[in-house]
Amino acid sequence: MGRPAAASWGFASDLDDIAGEVAIVGVGEAEHSKASGRGSHEIAVEAIEAALADAGMEIADIDGIMFSPAMGDQLDEQAFRERFGVQHELWTSHQGGGMVWAGTAPHAAARAIRSGAASTILNVFSVAWATQRSSMTGGPGQFHADEQFKANLEIPFGWFPQPVYFSTIARRHMAEYGTRPEQLGSVAISARRHANGHPGAVMRDKALSLEDYLSRPMLADPLRVEDCCLISDGGAAYIMTSTERARDLAKTPVVVSGVGEGHSGSGAYWSQQGDFTATPQVFSAPRAFAMAGIAPSDVDLLTLYDPFTIVTLMQIEDMGFCDKGEGGAFVQGGRLDFDAGGLPTNTHGGMLSHAYVLGISHVVEVVRQLRGEAANQVADAEIGVYGGYTGHMASTLVLTTES
Amino acid sequence: MRAGFPLPDVNWEPTRGFWQAAQRRELQMPRCERCGLINWYPPPRCRACECESLGWSSLSGRATLFSWSHVSRALFDGYASKAPYITGLVALEEDPRVRLVTLLVDCLPEDLTIDMPVEVVFRVLEFPDVEGSVIAPMFRPHS
Repeated sequence: MGRPAAASWGFASDLDDIAGEVAIVGVGEAEHSKASGRGSHEIAVEAIEAALADAGMEIADIDGIMFSPAMGDQLDEQAFRERFGVQHELWTSHQGGGMVWAGTAPHAAARAIRSGAASTILNVFSVAWATQRSSMTGGPGQFHADEQFKANLEIPFGWFPQPVYFSTIARRHMAEYGTRPEQLGSVAISARRHANGHPGAVMRDKALSLEDYLSRPMLADPLRVEDCCLISDGGAAYIMTSTERARDLAKTPVVVSGVGEGHSGSGAYWSQQGDFTATPQVFSAPRAFAMAGIAPSDVDLLTLYDPFTIVTLMQIEDMGFCDKGEGGAFVQGGRLDFDAGGLPTNTHGGMLSHAYVLGISHVVEVVRQLRGEAANQVADAEIGVYGGYTGHMASTLVLTTES
Repeated sequence: MRAGFPLPDVNWEPTRGFWQAAQRRELQMPRCERCGLINWYPPPRCRACECESLGWSSLSGRATLFSWSHVSRALFDGYASKAPYITGLVALEEDPRVRLVTLLVDCLPEDLTIDMPVEVVFRVLEFPDVEGSVIAPMFRPHS
């Protein structure tokens, strides 16, 4: 049985060319932690204040806000107005927040800025899932349990929640390509090493060796706890404006050079995805790289939405950093470390070891790397890429320093 | 969360035919009466020819083991009584692109290999603190 042709199981969005039009000029994070007792709005406010300070801006400078109402309890326009006492006109978009939208928000922002609808746009995302999980009121599992096809065709058979889906995907990947446990372990260990060097990471004080990893019990065989992302409270925000205006601001502009968005034809039902061991990065990444005029080999560092180690590995393959099936060999032996001469990946620790804020901190990390401000700084970083993922969608965001 | 969780709602229209057939110990999925495609999960129209003539069609119950996960401790409350268990996907004989989520039974994890032949068995699915039960299609290695 051959692999299905890429065109048979998904597609890319047609995004018009916005290369170079906008820049990210401010980034900020809230404190990332285990259950904090805080609500997601309070966390979002802390992230926004940090992003404004970073950009050297006032709240009055913000005339556009992007968030993701689908993710529940996000700081929306009304809450934003109340918290900050904002009365001026605001352009708002629901195509923001984390996950894939952390990668595609700059495209929507570029279009809004081009049209004159806004000049300075904030994208924000926050979660209090560690706090909510400790009180059993929400979190990532709940979101899926409420979905009727999953409730009637998957959950009765114990194929739930996410670690079970992805252990099934990992086993198939291992069978098709010979991917080994220590290769998945290498993804987790690189992420942990980066978190150990990052003062804002939830796992900054907890080391992880390959021996530790291999000795840990299976959570959902073949995945161990260390293959799975954290559940944490936290959030982040970033501010975008035209590249022209960005040159007059406090920090070195980080330019949005390419955006891509890919979709699986089977929607959110992983079980039916045509290519079970791939991600829609197959469709997304080539579009973003073409818009930016780069090849995968030009990329200096990568941040990837990493709910599970296998998702990091599959995205690396699907974005073209190696051939399909070669991801295991590509990541093994610490080749994702920031200083190993391989492909520095999730240099802040990712969702595996930094914080589970669904990718928005991944964009913050790329910006800091390209400014030379990162905790685990990659030498001479000029091109950084974020790969977003939600299962049925993927996004690719290419950020660059100004040449 | 719906009462009865994690049992299915056998009366939810889109999957009602599947669960009704299972109560008769039959495996059925929607098949397009025009082009013959098995459509899973059940859509309102055929994914290939877009016609609305989808009928519940009986299947052989033979499949191959596409992948599985051995869960030693349940990761959600409703399934605590079932652990350890093996859940997975089987690819149907009639069309291996169609994968059914199921439980693997009458076997140990070490008995399983990718793409091995498996066959349907119908078993009662019930949970200690949940009222009611259903007969559900599960799979075991094909002897």
